[in-house]
Amino acid sequence: MDDIKNKKLLIVDDEKEIRNILDEFLRKEGFNRIFHAATCEEALQVCQTVKPDIAILDVMLPDGDGFSLLTSIRQISNFPVLFLSARGEDEDRLLGLGLGADDYIVKPFLPRELFLRLTAVLRRVYSQPMRDEPPIFNLGNRIIDLGSGTVQYKENEFSLTAKEFALLFKLYENRNRIVTSDALCQAVWGDDYYGFENTLMVHIRRIREKIEADPSNPEFLLTIRGLGYKLMVKEGLT
Amino acid sequence: MKGTVRILKRFIGATMLISAFLVVFNFILLGFWLVKGMTGVQSPASIVQDVAENLNRPSNNTPYSLDSSVIKLLDQNHAWAMLIDDNTGYIAWDYMIPKELPDQYSLTDIAKFTKNYLEDYPVFVWEHNDGLVVVGYPKKSLAKYEYILPVAWVSSLPLRMAVLLLINIVVALLLSLLIGYRLVHSIRPLTQGIQALAEDRETFIEPKGILADLAQSVNRASTLLRKKNESLKSRDEARSNWIAGISHDIRTPLSMVLGYSSNLEENCDIPAQQRRQAGIIRQQGEYLRSLVSDLNLVSMLEYEMQPLNKKLIRTSVLIRQIATEFLNNGLDERFILEVDNLDENVKVNGDERLLTRAINNLIQNSINHNPDGCLIRLQTTFDESNNSCSFIIADNGKGISQSEIPSLLDLPYSSKRKHPRNNGHGLGLPMVERIAKAHQGHLILSSDIGKGFRAELVLPVNIN
Repeated sequence: MDDIKNKKLLIVDDEKEIRNILDEFLRKEGFNRIFHAATCEEALQVCQTVKPDIAILDVMLPDGDGFSLLTSIRQISNFPVLFLSARGEDEDRLLGLGLGADDYIVKPFLPRELFLRLTAVLRRVYSQPMRDEPPIFNLGNRIIDLGSGTVQYKENEFSLTAKEFALLFKLYENRNRIVTSDALCQAVWGDDYYGFENTLMVHIRRIREKIEADPSNPEFLLTIRGLGYKLMVKEGLT
Repeated sequence: MKGTVRILKRFIGATMLISAFLVVFNFILLGFWLVKGMTGVQSPASIVQDVAENLNRPSNNTPYSLDSSVIKLLDQNHAWAMLIDDNTGYIAWDYMIPKELPDQYSLTDIAKFTKNYLEDYPVFVWEHNDGLVVVGYPKKSLAKYEYILPVAWVSSLPLRMAVLLLINIVVALLLSLLIGYRLVHSIRPLTQGIQALAEDRETFIEPKGILADLAQSVNRASTLLRKKNESLKSRDEARSNWIAGISHDIRTPLSMVLGYSSNLEENCDIPAQQRRQAGIIRQQGEYLRSLVSDLNLVSMLEYEMQPLNKKLIRTSVLIRQIATEFLNNGLDERFILEVDNLDENVKVNGDERLLTRAINNLIQNSINHNPDGCLIRLQTTFDESNNSCSFIIADNGKGISQSEIPSLLDLPYSSKRKHPRNNGHGLGLPMVERIAKAHQGHLILSSDIGKGFRAELVLPVNIN
């Protein structure tokens, strides 16, 4: 986390007040290398001299719009960019994201939300190796290792099939939240998943046989009637 | 096209009726004239009969005498009369007989004048005990005709009449068809033009023929309509842009309000009371934010300026996704979301974000208006008869009175909305209704006090 806060931030907004509130808030959160720019021209200058690690761009600027600014920035560098715009329409959002922006935040915003999204982008871009570490977690007295795709129980070890692994991975990503059967089917069979609902039930049953003490009376992989399934994982017990 | 066929049918019907009426009318008139022509003056045949019957003599040697009433009749008609003796051919009796006539008549003479004229006098004959009574009329007062017809011709007369009538009917039909066709042909552009006007399409008709004036009127109406539409559209656009502009300009100051108030709220150096007050400012700021964006969306929908990113969506998937979202975001335990009777095969072509928004609003409505909790049931159905599908969101909460339902769909700031809104900004249901409209669907609300609230979002399903 500390090296995320050491990243160089560029804020481009023609409104001084907005720049100040962002500056103030982000400094309070621990960022200390923050640069400002009020126009496209200034922004490009800063990009060349400072070489920021991430930029927050306004869409409407006195000497051009943020979209064309992003295109010019992309010719120099490849650092992540967030849009912060008063234009919340779908087209603007899609245009911004389509140009390769990492996020699109609509004014008015809560500074906390902006901070969370900013750090999420920074982590995604600059802490790549961290994310790939496959999760290992406990379900009761069983250890689920999604890295090797196995379930360990006492001395036994069950391996998960590819489909079971994909399902369990999706459920684990959304642990303690309901995942609809549609989302599960889509995760395993892709967009053209219609008609796999019964197959899904079979796979869920097989997973339960591996992770539950009593598969007919599941404790961790719960059925939410009419909607989907939910994987209950108690955090912090590993 | 249906219109023109109907016009043609009616036209032919009317023409046939008129023709039939004319025929009947003519026959009646003819009959009337004939009867009147006969009765106005007594017919020569009856006069000559009268003369023959009333010409008597008491004995063989006394002169003939004619009844005075018959003499009067003869005078009225300026007629003369005579009796030709059977045996001799001499005139046995006469009345007002013209001087130039001979005294005796041969068989040939009689045969000639019976059929034609006697010295240009039209004469009529009748049998008498003693001979032949002849009544003559003034020259050139009456025309005598004689018809000689073959029996076969007379006996086939009814058939001929029937054929004649049939031919008449056919000719009338063809004529009316021809005239009707020409009429329809000339008014077809007009009917098409007027139909186009009714469907609010622009139209132009070549002004020619007898209906040129009418065509010009239609063209004028069309231009007028187009101009009206244009000005209406530009006014709607101006209104919508105005709201969009305000909502845009409000965002930056609102960012500041939200930013600093939440900063203060989280600042541990400030007393708790002030932090709570800052929290209230932030909450109200967030409320303002949602109000402004909802207002913008509703105005875009109202003036049909909201673009739709349509794609095929399975209704059951959408319902499950929304219900799951509510449950995952910590729905209060007092509320039970029940998903049942989902039709898995129904797909609707719609904007996923807007439809999600609409269903969210309906569920949130049930939650907001039933603080004591309630059961919320989500359903999707498919109606094969009119190719529509429905999202049904129904609760068993406290409901509202039936009289209040219609005003729920009016915009909160419009003059139509009479009932004050009790909570929320009142844009939720109008937004749902306008989202339905944008999808060519509609929203059906039903409720009564204590009977829960039921909303049905009906959308057309495109089979192909």
